[in-house]
Amino acid sequence: MSTPGHTQGPASGDAAAAAPRAGYAIIEAIRRGEPVTGQTHEQVRDQPAVIRAADFSLWYGKSRALHAVSMPVPRHRVTALIGPSGCGKSTLIRCVNRMNDLVEGVRVSGRMELEGSDVYAPGTDVIGLRRRVGMVFQKPNPFPMSIFDNVVYPLRIHGQRSRSELAERAERALRGAALWDEVKDRLRQSALGLSGGQQQRLCIARAIAADPEVLLMDEPCSALDPVSTLRVEELIQRVSERYTVLIVTHNMQQASRVSHFTAFMYLGRLVEYGPTAEIFQNPRLPETEQYVSGRFG
Amino acid sequence: MPPSKARRSGGDRALGLLARGSAVTILGLLVALLATLVTAGAPAAARFGASFLTETEWRPNTLERPRLDARGEVVITGGEVEIEEVPPRFGALPAIWGTAVSSGIALLIAVPLSLGAALFVVRIAPRLRVAGPLSFMIEFLAAIPSIAYGFWGLAVLTPWLQTVAYPAMERLAGGTWVAGWVFRTRLADGTEIPVGLTGKDMLCGGLVLAIMVIPIVTAVARDVLRSVPRGQLEGTLALGATWWQSSWGMMRYARAGLFGAVMLGLARAAGETMAVTMVIGNNMQVAASPLAPAQTMASLLANEFKEASDQLHQSALLLVALILLVMSLALNVTARSLVVGGSSRTAAAH
Ligand SMILES: Nc1ncnc2c1ncn2[C@@H]1O[C@H](COP(=O)(O)OP(=O)(O)O)[C@@H](O)[C@H]1O
Ligand SMILES: [Mg+2]
Repeated sequence: MSTPGHTQGPASGDAAAAAPRAGYAIIEAIRRGEPVTGQTHEQVRDQPAVIRAADFSLWYGKSRALHAVSMPVPRHRVTALIGPSGCGKSTLIRCVNRMNDLVEGVRVSGRMELEGSDVYAPGTDVIGLRRRVGMVFQKPNPFPMSIFDNVVYPLRIHGQRSRSELAERAERALRGAALWDEVKDRLRQSALGLSGGQQQRLCIARAIAADPEVLLMDEPCSALDPVSTLRVEELIQRVSERYTVLIVTHNMQQASRVSHFTAFMYLGRLVEYGPTAEIFQNPRLPETEQYVSGRFG
Repeated sequence: MPPSKARRSGGDRALGLLARGSAVTILGLLVALLATLVTAGAPAAARFGASFLTETEWRPNTLERPRLDARGEVVITGGEVEIEEVPPRFGALPAIWGTAVSSGIALLIAVPLSLGAALFVVRIAPRLRVAGPLSFMIEFLAAIPSIAYGFWGLAVLTPWLQTVAYPAMERLAGGTWVAGWVFRTRLADGTEIPVGLTGKDMLCGGLVLAIMVIPIVTAVARDVLRSVPRGQLEGTLALGATWWQSSWGMMRYARAGLFGAVMLGLARAAGETMAVTMVIGNNMQVAASPLAPAQTMASLLANEFKEASDQLHQSALLLVALILLVMSLALNVTARSLVVGGSSRTAAAH
C-alpha cells in the first residue's frame, strides 16, 4: 500500500554530507560540538503555548537524537516541523504523548510541558496524557473492525457504553474529518475496505473522537496520492480551529500550505522557528534559507 | 542478495532438485499411508458403517453367554445351559469421546496460559532482557520427548490428584449436584460407578496434555503476535489504551493466526500417544465425568495394536488410525493456512 518509489526513515548521513561547507554559524557550532540556541521569532513567543519543550534532550541508548530543544507550540494553530530526514522530527513529537516509552533505552532530560506540567514528571498518568494528545501516523493504521467501531474505539476503551452517545460522537468525528458523506451508508463495513486517503481521514476522525487538546501528525500524507493529500491538508486547517496541531512533514510546500508556524530542525537541534511565511520567504539564518530553497536536505 | 548466475547453475540447482524431490517423496509417503489405512480399515468400515462412530461398545473378543428365550429365561437343553456366541463389536465412540474431552481440557488450560506467555515474551520480556532465554526455554520445552511428560504425570500428578486434590474437591463439593456429577458417573449401559479413585483419568490426561501443548501454542502465538505491524500497537496506545486493551488489540488483529496456533495445539493434543496412555486409565467407556478413566484414539492404538491378532480387530484399529490421521491433517492444514495467511496479510499491510 505504500507509494512506490517513496523512501522513508532516518538518513542522517545524507543530511550531513549534503550540508553546505562554510559560512554557517549554527552548523559550524554543531560541528565544533558547541551548544546551539535556535532563533525563535518574537511572533511565536507572543503566542499562548499549549506544549512547551524546554532544554529538552533525548538519547536512544548512547546516541543523542535531540539537543536541548526549546520550543513553544501555540494554541489552536498548526505548527509544522521541517528538516532533513533523521533530524529528530518524529522523535520530538513522539515525546509529547510519550510514545517513545515503547523504545527500549530511551532517556530524556529537560522539560516537555503540556499546559504547564511536565509530561515526563514521575507519576505522570501516561494513559490520561495520551487521551489529551491525539496522534496520526505516517501510515494509516485502521484497526481490523468496522468504520464505526474504529471511530468509537477511544470512547469505548474509556468506558463509554451509551449507544446514542457513541453514534452521535462518531458522526461528529467523521464530519470533523470530512469523511461522513462518504461512509455514512457503510459504517458497519470493515475499515480495511476504504481507500488509503479515506483510511487516513478515518484515523484523524478516530484521533479527534475523544476530543483531545492536541493533535500530533507524523508525515500524515506521505503514503497518500496527491488528491487525498489535498483533502487531508484541507482537513488539517479545519481542525486547527478546535485543536492545536503539531505536524511533521518533509514536504516544504505542504508546510507552507497548511501551517501557521514552522520550525526548522537540523541534526537534533531547533535551528529557526517562526511564522511560516517568514521562514519560507524571509528566514533569518542562512541555514534555513539553504534548506527551504531546497539546496540541501 | 540474488545469487550469481554462475553459482546458481551448480550447487543451487542440485539443492533445488533435492528439495523438490524430498517434497514429492513426502507427499507420496502421505498418500501411500492414507491408501494403506483406507484399505486396511475397509473391512471394519463395511461391517459397522456409520455405527463405528456412534457405538459405545468396543469388544475384540467373542462373547459366550447363556441363550435367553423370548421371556428372558435361560434356555436349557438336555440339562445343559445353552450357550450362544456374540461376535466381536467395535464402536469407536469412547475413544473419540476420550480424545475430545482430554484435548478440550488441555486447550481450556493451555490457551489462556499460552496467550499470556506469548504476550509476555513479545511485550515485556524484551524490556527485562529475557526474551532470548525465554524463547529458548519455550523451544526446549517443546522438544522434550513426550514420555518424559508421561512419567511426570504418572509419578507426580496422578498420586497428587488421587490423594490430595480429589479428596479436597470432594470435601468442598460436599453433597451438591457437582459431587454427584463429578464423582459418580453413569455409563452408556445405565450403570452408575464411582470415579476419581485412581487419579488416572481424562482430567489427568488433559492436564498432562496442557503442559505438553503450552510450548508449541506459545511459540506459534509469539511469532504471530510479533508479526503484528507496529502501527497497530502504537495506534491503540496513542488513543490511551491500557496495556491489556492494547494487547487485546494485537490479539484481535492476529486472531486468525492465533486460532491457527490453537489448532496446532489441538492437533498435538489429539495425536499425543505415550504420555496420555500412561495417565488416562485406558478404559473404553463414555463417561460424563472428567474424573472417569478413558481411552483416546491414540492410546487405544498404543494399547491394543500389538496384541490384535484378529483380522477385524486390526481393521477396526486401523480405521481409528485413519480417522486420527485425517483429523490431524485437517487441523494442521487449517492451522498452517491460518498462521501463514495471517502473517502474509500482515506483510501486505506493511
Ligand atoms: N527507535 C530508535 N532507536 C535508535 N535510534 C533511533 C530510533 N528512532 C530514531 N532514531 C534515530 O534518531 C534520529 C532521529 O530520528 P527521527 O526522529 O526518526 O528523524 P526524522 O523523523 O526527523 O526523520 C535518527 O538519527 C535516527 O536514526
Ligand atoms: Mg520521521
